[in-house]
Amino acid sequence: MAREREGMRKERLDRGIKVRSDGVYSISSWREMSFLLAPRLLLILGLLIMPLVLVPAPYWQKVLIIVCIYAFLALGFDFLAHFVGLVSLGGALYIGVGAYVTAFFNVYLGLPIWLCIPLATILGGGLCTLLLWPCLPLRGVYFAIVSLMFPLLSARLIEALDVFGGTDGIMGLDGFSNSWWEMYVLISFMLIALFALRRLVNADMGLIFRGVKDNDQAVKASGISITFYKAVGVFIASSLGCFGGACLAHIYMWAGISQFALDFSIIPIAATVVGGGGTLAGPVIGCLILVPISELLRDFGTLRIAVYALILMGFIVFKSEGLMSFGSRKYNQFEHWVEI
Amino acid sequence: MFEAQGLMVFYENMLALNNVGLSCGDRQIVGVFGANSAGKSTLMYTLSGIMDDIAKKERMAGGERITIRGGISFQGKDMFGVKPAARARAGIILCPERRRIFPESTVLENLHIAGYLASRQQTEETLDYVFTIFPPLTKITRRLGGFLSGGEQQMLAIGRALMAQPKLLLLDEPLLGLSPAIQYWLAKSIKEIAAERQVAIIVAEQYARPIMPIIDYGYILENGSAVIEGDRDKLMNNPDVKSAYFGS
Repeated sequence: MAREREGMRKERLDRGIKVRSDGVYSISSWREMSFLLAPRLLLILGLLIMPLVLVPAPYWQKVLIIVCIYAFLALGFDFLAHFVGLVSLGGALYIGVGAYVTAFFNVYLGLPIWLCIPLATILGGGLCTLLLWPCLPLRGVYFAIVSLMFPLLSARLIEALDVFGGTDGIMGLDGFSNSWWEMYVLISFMLIALFALRRLVNADMGLIFRGVKDNDQAVKASGISITFYKAVGVFIASSLGCFGGACLAHIYMWAGISQFALDFSIIPIAATVVGGGGTLAGPVIGCLILVPISELLRDFGTLRIAVYALILMGFIVFKSEGLMSFGSRKYNQFEHWVEI
Repeated sequence: MFEAQGLMVFYENMLALNNVGLSCGDRQIVGVFGANSAGKSTLMYTLSGIMDDIAKKERMAGGERITIRGGISFQGKDMFGVKPAARARAGIILCPERRRIFPESTVLENLHIAGYLASRQQTEETLDYVFTIFPPLTKITRRLGGFLSGGEQQMLAIGRALMAQPKLLLLDEPLLGLSPAIQYWLAKSIKEIAAERQVAIIVAEQYARPIMPIIDYGYILENGSAVIEGDRDKLMNNPDVKSAYFGS
């Protein structure tokens, strides 16, 4: 309250309705079009140019690939948590299943890479959905626990039964023909997924998803099967994760149990917190910030996690709404002091 | 004893309370009447300090910007901007809208939780008083708060507020969702409480019919401003109040 002025209050006004609306008015002038397009183009072009900028630093090109893979998971997490109402810790499951499915088709059946990745995306997504199906009717923490349990279980099963190469993993996957393919396939599909999801949550189906999150009993009372829609939501999120996992396996040319590592479950959540939940673009931005930070922090050795935790805590305490919500509010609204 | 002047509350740019002043003397019952969205609950939250807490949470989560201006004094002390817990310690106790019973604690536990600020002796004494004024509660002391009926829950909520040893009791919509018979019975109990416990009571309510006869002074809120104020007879004889609240 210290900075508040006597007898005044800070008023926030939305920018003109024409500018903010996504309707036909928004294309009535260049100024308004550029107002809407500027932030979107900044993200799209920025990401597309990034590999070219990073040519002198091949190590950071690899980091960019990891950023994209985490971004798939973070998008899936944000979608499930803030639009379907399921808190999923299954990032590791999605990556692992995607990696093993694509490795199975590529190494054991000899299918080409451009067929393996889509197959892994669809079949992997279906497999994850089937695994998580039994706990879909439940609300609350149960889904989180079960989705956290599956990656641990799968890793131990593969190790104990010595299937799919056991602890060595499956080696000898086809790689991408060059690193440009790796980067641009991941970046472009990540952007497509981002904008497709943003559109989906505002379509009719997205309304049902949000209804399931807000009040599932009311949705049931409208004659809609919430389990089916939750399953569709999980399928979408896990397909995104499986696509990331399949690409990861082809980039490393190897699928192993370290792809069930819990990092894949935890970092997307952190990125969603940093970027702002429920915005979809926020988690992507969160990944763009967090993953490079975690690479930079490698110099700290074991203190890495401590520093990382401090940064996260700072974000939660001082900007708990997330960067994206904060930024879009500043971008879309005027602020000024008025007399009461 | 209790005075509030010039209360202004903005939800973002919407004016929820516009320059509302209100005062309440010792052992008085003051009524605040208004339709939905007139600002009754906002007023109660502002007086009890909960609004400061809501504003802080909204600010941290980047939600609505809530601006609160004005002045509140209680027994000669400035209470504006004082934390809700400190206001409760000073004796301003809110009995919130829709009761907010602890659903997984028994009736007795609910009452004991609220006795946190009271001494052991006060707790015993108030507990006895609550059971004498609300006899239905004596039979269900071990039932969970969530399983009570609406009327029982409201009795428990008022009893719980009494356990905190109020000097000023804020009742926010105590009659919400109750049958007319219970409404009148509860209104009678409220009057008894004011007399027997020597507390001042501010009661915000939509249903003026049961409450109006028990008040000493009243305010009519409309769109966030106190449009009419006066003692019981003045309000009851006001033609606008009659047509709006008594349907005649």
